[in-house]
Amino acid sequence: MNTAMIIEALIKIAILIAGLATGAAYLVLLERRMAAWIQDRIGPNRVGIPLTRIRVWGLGQPPADGLKIFFKQDFTPAGVDRVVFTLAPIIILIAAFVAFAVVPFGSVVPLNASDGTRPVQLVVAAHVNVGIVFVLAASGIAIYGVLLGGWSSNNKYSFLGGLRASAQLLAYELPMGLAVLGVVTAAGSLDLETIIQQQGANVWYALAQPLGFLIFVVAALAEAARLPFDLPECEQELVGGYHTEYSGMRLLMFLLTEFLHLITASLLIVVLFLGGWHLPWLTGYTDQVGWFGALLRIVVLVVKVLLVVLFFMLVRWTWPRFRYDQLMALAWKVLLPLGMVNFTAIAILDQIQVVWKLESTAWTMLFALIAWAVCIIALLAVGLLAPRITDNRPLRPAADADMVG
Amino acid sequence: MKTDDPQIRWLDTPTLNVAERLYLPLVVEGLTTTFRHAVKAISGHPVTVSYPDEEPQIDNPLIYRGVHRLNKDAQGRVKCVACFMCATACPAHCIDIIGQESPWPDREKYPASFCIDELRCIFCGMCEEACPVDAIELTSLYNLTGRSREEMIFDKEKLLSVYEATKDKEPMRSSRMGEE
Repeated sequence: MNTAMIIEALIKIAILIAGLATGAAYLVLLERRMAAWIQDRIGPNRVGIPLTRIRVWGLGQPPADGLKIFFKQDFTPAGVDRVVFTLAPIIILIAAFVAFAVVPFGSVVPLNASDGTRPVQLVVAAHVNVGIVFVLAASGIAIYGVLLGGWSSNNKYSFLGGLRASAQLLAYELPMGLAVLGVVTAAGSLDLETIIQQQGANVWYALAQPLGFLIFVVAALAEAARLPFDLPECEQELVGGYHTEYSGMRLLMFLLTEFLHLITASLLIVVLFLGGWHLPWLTGYTDQVGWFGALLRIVVLVVKVLLVVLFFMLVRWTWPRFRYDQLMALAWKVLLPLGMVNFTAIAILDQIQVVWKLESTAWTMLFALIAWAVCIIALLAVGLLAPRITDNRPLRPAADADMVG
Repeated sequence: MKTDDPQIRWLDTPTLNVAERLYLPLVVEGLTTTFRHAVKAISGHPVTVSYPDEEPQIDNPLIYRGVHRLNKDAQGRVKCVACFMCATACPAHCIDIIGQESPWPDREKYPASFCIDELRCIFCGMCEEACPVDAIELTSLYNLTGRSREEMIFDKEKLLSVYEATKDKEPMRSSRMGEE
């Protein structure tokens, strides 16, 4: 490790944090516009360049919002645990940023590659052997921030929000981990870059492991506390949940984190299942890449992430929130068994492929087909056999069941 | 709750078919709906009207309840006969009429002064319904603004000028009095 490498890492970190903060701010705008469009409205489109009448589709809204919240009073209510109350948003924000350290935002830039020096990896910590574990661990710390924030607020709503968050995130880490296990088994590596290259060499894991993809998308929604699973922070029941008592900059940190989690979840879905920066016949999948190829890979990744984010926003305005018992039942009675089935099937298929060296395209296609069959059968089995979790009303007394109409 | 209460009407939960129990087909259905709405709004057909930039479309101006007007008959006289029916019907007490003996042979009284406090008015349209000679009507003028409270008390001349301004776009609902 020499000075140049440290400077390189620092530059990457600066770009990453600035880009992510700006990106999260503009995702707020995108979310508001999406919400408006889906409800047949227009949305915030009037804030443009200050002191002019230029509106540029409301792109001035995020800076205006940021400035407003920056000048707001940062109020600490009486009765809170001051140390933890101050610490919680910091922990959660840092954990959210740290998760991005190993996520590749493209592959490599061939900087100085001609005169023999190595190309620059477009990731802060390149080739971390435990990449995906690192991401999961960092996003696991986020629960800590939510729980601390909710508990230290000394407020019933915040407390309930924190409790819900801890139970929910814990429950959904399991199926998420099982879905990731399938990918890791198939790729043979925990390194995100290697996982992408394996998908480029073979087939995207969304096609090869449909069941795992499905489980991961649902679990990622729950981990990011997006709308069908936003019980920790539901405005209607819990007045904002764990961040009810926060205001000003500290509230901003929580809100920023929420959107960072959205970006993390989308990135993970893209990297693990949708091929990362790989696009068939266009980008290639090796480290040998020119400037154009490198830029193309970045664009492909960003577009994919944006599409997943848009999908998440569409989902938000499509479903109502789950009831808490339904949420738990979905995690423990549906997703967890499905995850086990998925992992078992993928492990067996992978072992067959490795032992008999069935590497050709036809065999890959066949294995994908088998995975699809497993997916459909497992879904049917769960759908038809799982206990009904739709209703908690009192049951009609059996005696007079047929005399009342 | 007592489950044997005869007052209770028991409803059976609907039975779900295979597609509904699988949940995923319904997911796709729901996403299609929201996506359709998003496309509709993005392609330029939102429900929202950007008001100061674009004028709202009033479906039927004849039944819209905006600013009042005092109608004139065929000879250009005010149709009002100062019967006080509108002032009596008004729930907000915003109509103030001073009646006087009419200079014309076909009616006994006419309003020497006819004032409506537009700030007190609740635009319920009861005056319009009460009027026996269809003299007072509500127009489709929706953007009623002023700089002072006094300015918002519309007198007879102002109300007649509203009629002049809107008579072409919104003909009188009935012209009984004018044609006799």
